[in-house]
Amino acid sequence: MILAFIGSGALLAGLVMGGFSMLLSFWSGWRQNAVMIQVGRRAFYAAAATVVLASVALETALLTHDFSIAYVVEHTDLSTATPLVAAGFYGGQEGSLLYWTLILCVLGSASLVASSRLGLRLAAYAAGILAGIATFFLVVLVLVASPFDVLSVTPPDGLGLNPVLRDGGMLIHPPVVLAGFASFAIPFSFAAAALLAGRSDAAWIAHTRRFALLAWTLQSAGLVLGMWWAYHVLGWGGYWGWDPVENVALMPWLATTAYLHSSQVQEHRGRLRAWNFGLVITAFLLVVFGTFIVRSGVVPSVHTFAISAIGPWFFAFLFICVVFSGALLALRAGSLKSEKEPAPALSREGAFVLQNLLLIGVVAVVLWGTVLPLVSGMLGQERVVGASYYERAAGPLLVAVLALMAAGPLLPWRRAGREAARALRWPAAAALAVLVVMVAAGVRSLPALVTLPVAAGVAATCGFEFARAIVRGRRHGGWPNALAPLARRRRRYGAYLAHLGLVVVVAGIASSHFWQQERDVTLSPGQQVSVGGYTLMYTGTEQRQLADHSELVAAMSFGDRTLEPARATYAGLGGQSLTHVAIGTTATADVYVILVGANADGSASFRVLVNPLVSWIWAGAIVIILGVVLGNLGERSPIPAPVLVRAPQGAT
Amino acid sequence: MTTTLKWGALMIVVAACVGYLIYSASGGSSEYYLTVSELRSHQQAGDVRVAGVVQNDVLRSDGGLHVRFTEKDSTDSVVVDYQGPLPDIFQPGITVVADGKLGADGIFHARNVLAKCPSRFSTTPYTQ
Repeated sequence: MILAFIGSGALLAGLVMGGFSMLLSFWSGWRQNAVMIQVGRRAFYAAAATVVLASVALETALLTHDFSIAYVVEHTDLSTATPLVAAGFYGGQEGSLLYWTLILCVLGSASLVASSRLGLRLAAYAAGILAGIATFFLVVLVLVASPFDVLSVTPPDGLGLNPVLRDGGMLIHPPVVLAGFASFAIPFSFAAAALLAGRSDAAWIAHTRRFALLAWTLQSAGLVLGMWWAYHVLGWGGYWGWDPVENVALMPWLATTAYLHSSQVQEHRGRLRAWNFGLVITAFLLVVFGTFIVRSGVVPSVHTFAISAIGPWFFAFLFICVVFSGALLALRAGSLKSEKEPAPALSREGAFVLQNLLLIGVVAVVLWGTVLPLVSGMLGQERVVGASYYERAAGPLLVAVLALMAAGPLLPWRRAGREAARALRWPAAAALAVLVVMVAAGVRSLPALVTLPVAAGVAATCGFEFARAIVRGRRHGGWPNALAPLARRRRRYGAYLAHLGLVVVVAGIASSHFWQQERDVTLSPGQQVSVGGYTLMYTGTEQRQLADHSELVAAMSFGDRTLEPARATYAGLGGQSLTHVAIGTTATADVYVILVGANADGSASFRVLVNPLVSWIWAGAIVIILGVVLGNLGERSPIPAPVLVRAPQGAT
Repeated sequence: MTTTLKWGALMIVVAACVGYLIYSASGGSSEYYLTVSELRSHQQAGDVRVAGVVQNDVLRSDGGLHVRFTEKDSTDSVVVDYQGPLPDIFQPGITVVADGKLGADGIFHARNVLAKCPSRFSTTPYTQ
């Protein structure tokens, strides 16, 4: 009970501090009042501290099973394992909003601490915008969706977490993806602040890029963990279903991917400034939009989220954000124009611009597919699109992006000459070689014959770049220094490593997509089934009793291994059942077995899938994240720090 | 000025390609979301989706690989026939979305049955 008071009191105090910080930061930034700017920023830190306190109160309530709090009752019970009880923090609507606010406040504070190089006004406006976003979340947490609502009667036990969520994945996927979502607010705040302050110089790019990278990395990890979880736990044999919930997580990631590439054009050539602002702002608007449609239930999704009162609040917030950013961009677009003549198309910047246009095209495809039920529902008969829509519409665009990844890094800035064109023969040769091999192997699917050779081209380009750097390093300092250029220009080579990781991911996605095999069988003990060249033998079922559920386990011998697909039944939750898939990973494929049911005569029914190269997706994703992290750790901005005009202390 | 024009042209070409892809893909593969009574009068070819509550007559055969049940919404009810594994939370009383088409036999032959997930954001609300 006391924890509920502490928690709701802290949230209320946070709301007051957040509102105060927002108003003071905007006013003092406008007046360039250094003292008040400092006060505004500290008010934000104070709001962050109260949010931390509220989070601690909620976590303590969960871990001590304080069933006087409705949220604790609705998301945990006494039999749930402790790590999953702790995960209840972000397992429900209210708690996940608090978690989101926590990440926003903590990362926001960190970004403000690091913002001193940007100049007074920009940093003050950024604090104001961050405080504004935090204030919105605190309003929702205090007024509409409080995790600290108290029950009039304290029940002896809680309702428990849904069995589907009782999995180790629950401990990593939601916190990472929610943190990714929350962190897009930080580049947005600095972009909007720079527009307000009329600044768009190198220091701003470096600062914004750093936090955009952080958001991008968190979101990449969140997306991949989500795919991994869906594949291993949800048990339908796939990892991506183009559900609205997945789509809204993908869209800001795509926009930020575009930004991370196009910001280089601004760094190196001073171009695309307005476009870069637009991308950072778009990513955040997509986050707010996604949160709105996912949590208000306006779009049919496999995940029906609790219909709650927060929908209209998020809609209002989205509206404010769109109007605010639109007005800012319109106001400042003129001053962001580059005086230079646009670059010729056949150049590095040309490749970046085209890649950006294509990625935004993919965002448009995904957005349209996501809102179609809403739009068509308003115009008449509600329509939905399935996976084939996304594959047909986004697939060609993504393959074109892949082709640009093969060509772009080999093109010089400004204008590509004959020499650069000659370098393109490496990826072209690799692509051709893979194409020939595939045709010889009897592959006739056109999408596969395009995707995989282009991916090979990307690999060749990255390999060529690495080889060129190593040769150059060796020429300067012998073998001991061969790797020096890679470390010195790690941002560049980290990016190529990430590209290589993506090639691996693409190979995994394409193979599992084009060559997945599936078979439904009913087997008696001792009978075998062969799918895609893999043979499994069913040996029998047994019933196992565990702490909170019972399991029907089937044994399938697969080579020298035994796969044990199972169905768990949770007696305590109205007999809800849960599939435990069994996956046998070999070098080239996953053998994925789903136990559908058992019959009285001892036979059992299975769906057996052979998913080629799925493990490459997880491996490639690790390489991508490694490349981005290694490439940017300890990286100083390559641009000279701008001359800052610091207002004297106390100046008004 | 010519490079500006070239860029403008490129943008228009990309936008047109994206537009065409969206148009052609959504025209070919979008499905109508229907109520059960609309299903009976729906004329167009292609798959449709019907949401409804699973009734208490679930009939499983072939070790659970073949399922037949009645799905009911506020307008009417229809028998659904489906081959394959069902979502875990499938049981009488939950809402499912069946994806497929109505056969001449009056039975809805589903290619896919999705359950409305109980949500990662909420279990049954606590009522006492």
